[in-house]
Amino acid sequence: MEPILKTENLWKMYRMGRIEVPALRGVSISILPGEFVSIMGPSGCGKSTLLHVIGGLAQATRGRVLLDGNDLTEMSDAARTLLRRHKVGFVFQRFNLLPTLDTYHNITLAQHIHGNGFDPHRFEAVASLLGLTERLRHKPSELSGGEQQRVALARAIISEPKIVLADEPTGNLDSKSSESVLALLRQLNKDLGQTIVMITHNPEAATYGDRVLHMRDGMVVNGSAAHS
Amino acid sequence: MIGHMILQNARHRPVRTAITIIAVAVEVTLVIIVVGLTSGLLLESAKRTEGVGADIMVQPPSASVFMAFSGAPMPIAIGDKLQELEYVQAVAPVLVQFNSVNGLDIVYGIQPDSFRAVSGGFVVHGGTELQDPNDILVDDVYARAKKVKVGQTLHILEHDFHVAGIVEHGKGARLFVLMSTLQEMSGARDKASVFFIKCDRTDHTPAVTDEVRGLLPHYEIRPLKDYISLMTSSNLPGLGAFINVMIGIAVAIGFLVTFLSMYTTIIERTREIGVLKSLGASKGYIVEIILSETTLLCLGGVVGGVGLSFLLREIFLKLFPSLTILISLKWILLAGLIAVAGGLLGASYPAWLASRKDPVEALAYD
Repeated sequence: MEPILKTENLWKMYRMGRIEVPALRGVSISILPGEFVSIMGPSGCGKSTLLHVIGGLAQATRGRVLLDGNDLTEMSDAARTLLRRHKVGFVFQRFNLLPTLDTYHNITLAQHIHGNGFDPHRFEAVASLLGLTERLRHKPSELSGGEQQRVALARAIISEPKIVLADEPTGNLDSKSSESVLALLRQLNKDLGQTIVMITHNPEAATYGDRVLHMRDGMVVNGSAAHS
Repeated sequence: MIGHMILQNARHRPVRTAITIIAVAVEVTLVIIVVGLTSGLLLESAKRTEGVGADIMVQPPSASVFMAFSGAPMPIAIGDKLQELEYVQAVAPVLVQFNSVNGLDIVYGIQPDSFRAVSGGFVVHGGTELQDPNDILVDDVYARAKKVKVGQTLHILEHDFHVAGIVEHGKGARLFVLMSTLQEMSGARDKASVFFIKCDRTDHTPAVTDEVRGLLPHYEIRPLKDYISLMTSSNLPGLGAFINVMIGIAVAIGFLVTFLSMYTTIIERTREIGVLKSLGASKGYIVEIILSETTLLCLGGVVGGVGLSFLLREIFLKLFPSLTILISLKWILLAGLIAVAGGLLGASYPAWLASRKDPVEALAYD
């Protein structure tokens, strides 16, 4: 089976004044369709940078990123924007919902940007799966952290992306809400076959994935099977 | 979707929204009122001159169509020669003086008989016509605005006049004195500023005009039916520039306020812009959101500005009944267009900045 995501010798350098600091140092990973992969590592090891580069939010300095057959390192900013729109769903630690919009509009915003128009069946299925049908008219400020993250999850998957990239999705949640969000991610992966890459520094959260990749100093140091 | 988003954004920051709308409303009001006031005054002045009832107006060479700006260099004897021309029924010389005491007014110095022959005479609301050298006639609009009564003393042109009568408005000026008195006061003995000619038939006007042009080459000979079309801001030196400067100031207000408002907005919403970019929103989509929101605020300002203009006109007319403020649909639309264009121009740089934000940096913004 062809991997949905593949990186080859991926480097990302940041410039701090006159000095170039490497955030990623030759990362090579391969993720198959339908996999749920956790990436673990200490703060500053390059986890988030890796997520930004494989999601097309940031450009790699060297190496290759192949997402569903598209080489992101060869793409212009506009082409990467288009690729994000159609193939990537993001979930962030701070939820990143638009505060002026209610749940319904935060979710349908993704459909609007996607450009395929509103699909009521898909919307109902997603809202129901994530337990949001009673909270559709609530704004983020009226929702709990767990509810906000469920809205963010709904927004990420509403347009049926090839891959969901979750950056510390439980980092701002209490343990009960964390479990609930992780269980939902697991359910999305098992029931819908959604490919998920999740970054976490929590070993317990990492076990929800099929396998765990460990990062240190901008490199993947080893991979292991997770035990959920 | 974008419509809902910008409405919610506008509601989310009510003070910012209100300030932007008010600034645009002030811009629109400034344009409408300044233009309305100048064009209203010009039109009203033109209609009054037309109301004299003459067919032709004769002024000295290079004289302005605005009589207050012309001196009195014409010998009054010209009137006798004009009277002798074929088809001429009556000729009325008028000496025009500009009064700046207790307001800005044009005063007509007239010969009652000749002026009556051309204009058909005044409709007197109270008192009598001019008899004594110190007599003055005021029209009803002036009397109402300045609360002038028959018999009282009126101090204008550094002179105390006796209000002999109040007449119907619309005969050239709002104030009338005897020509001989005005000639004495201004040192323009035997001089007139303008001759109004009444033809025996209106269709003889072109023939008389040609005759007068032959008699007085280089003089300004104007058929009165063309007069209103000449009373435009472009024919009054400096007025067009004044209007343009006022419009420029108004546009600058709208531009700066919109610029600041939208610049603050995109700083405030940096993270939201990052979110939109992570969802795959293009630069064009982000620019569209910012400019749509600007258009909405500007349209709110335009509606408010038009309303404010009509309200201000009512207030001005109550306070200054002699004023005329002409609010035309053309200038309402132009003011609206200017406001929206200025606003969009002001928002274009913030919109461009927003569209170029780095998504990773924007998502990390606190």
